[in-house]
Amino acid sequence: MTISVKKVSLQRTTRDQIFLPAILEGLLTTARHFFKNTFTPGHGDVETIRYGEPGVDVKDYYPERFRGVHRLMHREDGSVRCVACMCCSTVCPARCIYIEAEDRRDDAEKAPRSFVIDELKCVVCGFCVEACPCDAIRMDTREHWIPTETRAEAVLGKVELMSRGEQSVAVQGGLGASYREQAPKADPRFTHDPR
Amino acid sequence: MSNHDSRSTSSTIPPTPGTLPPPSVAPAPRVGMDPRPHAPEGWAPPVAPNRPAEPTEGQETVTLTIDGKEVTVAKGTNVLEASGLLGEEVCHFCYHQGLSIAASCRQCLVEIEKMGKLQPSCQVPVAEGMVVHTSSPTVLKARREMLEFTLKNHPIDCPICDKAGECTLQRHYMAHDHQLTRVDVPKIRKPKHKDIGREIVLDAERCILCSRCVRFCEEIPGTAELTMSWRGDHEQIDIADGHRLDNAYSINTVDICPVGALTAKDFRFAIRAWELHATPTTCNGCATGCAVELHTKHEQAYRVVPRFDPAVNGHWMCDEGRYTYKELDPQARVHRAEVDGATVPLADAIATVATRLTKARKLAVVFSSSATNEANDALRELAEVLATSVKGREGITATRYVLGHPRGEGDAILRDADKNPNTNGAHDAAAGSAGDVDKHEAELALELAGRAYDAVLFLDDSGELSEVALAGLANITSVCLASRRTPLSSACSIVLPAASWAEILGTYTNRQGLLRVVQPAWRPEHDRKHRADLLRDLMLAMGLRNVATAKERTRLLADEHEHAELQALVTDPKAMRPTLLRWANMRG
Ligand code: SF4
Ligand code: SF4
Ligand code: SF4
Ligand code: SF4
Ligand code: FES
Repeated sequence: MTISVKKVSLQRTTRDQIFLPAILEGLLTTARHFFKNTFTPGHGDVETIRYGEPGVDVKDYYPERFRGVHRLMHREDGSVRCVACMCCSTVCPARCIYIEAEDRRDDAEKAPRSFVIDELKCVVCGFCVEACPCDAIRMDTREHWIPTETRAEAVLGKVELMSRGEQSVAVQGGLGASYREQAPKADPRFTHDPR
Repeated sequence: MSNHDSRSTSSTIPPTPGTLPPPSVAPAPRVGMDPRPHAPEGWAPPVAPNRPAEPTEGQETVTLTIDGKEVTVAKGTNVLEASGLLGEEVCHFCYHQGLSIAASCRQCLVEIEKMGKLQPSCQVPVAEGMVVHTSSPTVLKARREMLEFTLKNHPIDCPICDKAGECTLQRHYMAHDHQLTRVDVPKIRKPKHKDIGREIVLDAERCILCSRCVRFCEEIPGTAELTMSWRGDHEQIDIADGHRLDNAYSINTVDICPVGALTAKDFRFAIRAWELHATPTTCNGCATGCAVELHTKHEQAYRVVPRFDPAVNGHWMCDEGRYTYKELDPQARVHRAEVDGATVPLADAIATVATRLTKARKLAVVFSSSATNEANDALRELAEVLATSVKGREGITATRYVLGHPRGEGDAILRDADKNPNTNGAHDAAAGSAGDVDKHEAELALELAGRAYDAVLFLDDSGELSEVALAGLANITSVCLASRRTPLSSACSIVLPAASWAEILGTYTNRQGLLRVVQPAWRPEHDRKHRADLLRDLMLAMGLRNVATAKERTRLLADEHEHAELQALVTDPKAMRPTLLRWANMRG
């Protein structure tokens, strides 16, 4: 195989080459903002959020789809919604989700025995939420991860993740009619004792 | 792939160059009956009266055209296998190479010119001049619509389904259907997580009624526990009243089930299939030596599944053999050398063993029928070295034993009563150039109990000895090359850390005399080493030079048996790299 090299010559004008005009342009922009923001009453269009000042809630400023600390959602009976399918831990680019599955011994069959997210490793990409087929994991807490004193505190377990969670209203198994609810109940020949 | 070497062997490795010449010892009479395993009279590998595809010499052939390409196959081949030869896998569910043909799923429909309707390619034998289209628009449409039927009542449980990631239905859906459901009526409900056997859980909703499992139970173990019940939409797999799916080969139904309807209790929810790495290797469960794959992640084994080998096991393996991976339990592993209860560096332990063995006056070496040919051969060499007088040391003839797992249950399908993978190889090495095996297990126990020796060297940690015999080991020089903690290795005063069968390249000689290959799934960690390499270190510590390494011994064996696959493995270590199942698509 031959490797071809494509040469691109940069078109620089004299103005570009002496740099000074560009620098001055930049300075002018900075100065314009400085005067506008300092002397206009009400701080003009300043977007700076004053953390810690009374009456300022950071969450008010977060965009709608801000990705905060993870949480695990609940089923109707308050148990964990996650079915330990490992989609999130597989897709996670930081490899920071560790799940061990167990048998629930009921009709939902599978659940995580342990579900651990290392928030320090997490790159907050949100892929885990995208991958989840069960609406079991969400990042909509609008909570920033707060610095901790020890690493261990930043490793969240199932209980902590569920304490932020609430009941999800999505139909387990995806959108559309849930065949489980609609299954014919009248014909006793076809309703079986599951065990 | 498979090992077609059918020479019955004298599989002793020729003495490696540079070692001392074998001493002359009068052959001792063999005690008791022949301990070697033999396949039952008239036994043949459980391979279906098969769909020959590639013609062998002297077979009648048929030439046909598939998708514009001409192919010549053996007479009697079906169209599905013939197009497989061209690399065009026709998508199918119910056809399985090792079972009879049911043609019930209709997923394999193809167009054959001069035949009015689409034909199930698994059932149609090839004919001279046949013209087949496997991907014409009509075929693609039929394929897609058959899939839609199959999925009509399918629960799409993939998140909690153990088959996800290696599911044939998932794969075909992605490749051929890929549309949203058009079904807006409730799906039919059937029993879920129903316990139907010692090893198996059934989910009747996921079943696509291909009848592979029914045919398996009828044709391979011949027990026929499974059957279809009800009709139409409500048809489902079931066990006959009062029966359970409890045959010795039941987990094979899990492998051949194209969906997650049958799952193995042992593997259920343990890990997702796509996280596993597969290493082709040989089962350690008995003298048959079935070709298997070991599935692992992070130096932990999760399951053993059969690998096709027409010379030994066909597509199958027994349930017992699947549990051999439990031996690899990380909790029970021996990582470092121990001398008299204290952990020491490996080199020190080897030096201690060398000194103590050369000082011994009554010595026994115990070959192992669960260790590789390489290890047994190295022990043979060591015994010969010890038997030779050199300056400053009188030669000492060691009594040779062969020890292994106790006998178990066997049958005429695959299982052998000899629960060791390498009884043949161990006996060949123990007999060696110096005559016959001296004594057998029972006597070993008796003599250890009677303190007949002041030094014993065990090649492996498996084998059941009585408590009195084990107690007899405490006060003498007892060395065990152990990969795990067993009553035997714990009773020995010196333990050398040996690599387990999941960490080495080695060979066994099975009951047919075939060379079976075990491959490493991961590298031995800590001080663990191939048993042959540990013994080599020992011989080097005794002042010998040019002792063959384990790999050199394997190479010699490969050359002796003209085993091309093994030769390739020895030359190119990269060939042994395990495959990630994520790229393997589907099983079953
Ligand atoms: S947000 Fe991204 S990095 Fe963090 S846990 Fe989810 S997938 Fe992993
Ligand atoms: S993807 Fe969702 S259901 Fe699956 S393991 Fe993660 S959180 Fe649980
Ligand atoms: S059998 Fe296949 S398609 Fe059906 S639920 Fe299991 S993984 Fe999904
Ligand atoms: S249980 Fe599996 S193998 Fe048996 S008929 Fe159903 S889909 Fe086929
Ligand atoms: S594979 Fe041919 S009909 Fe099922």
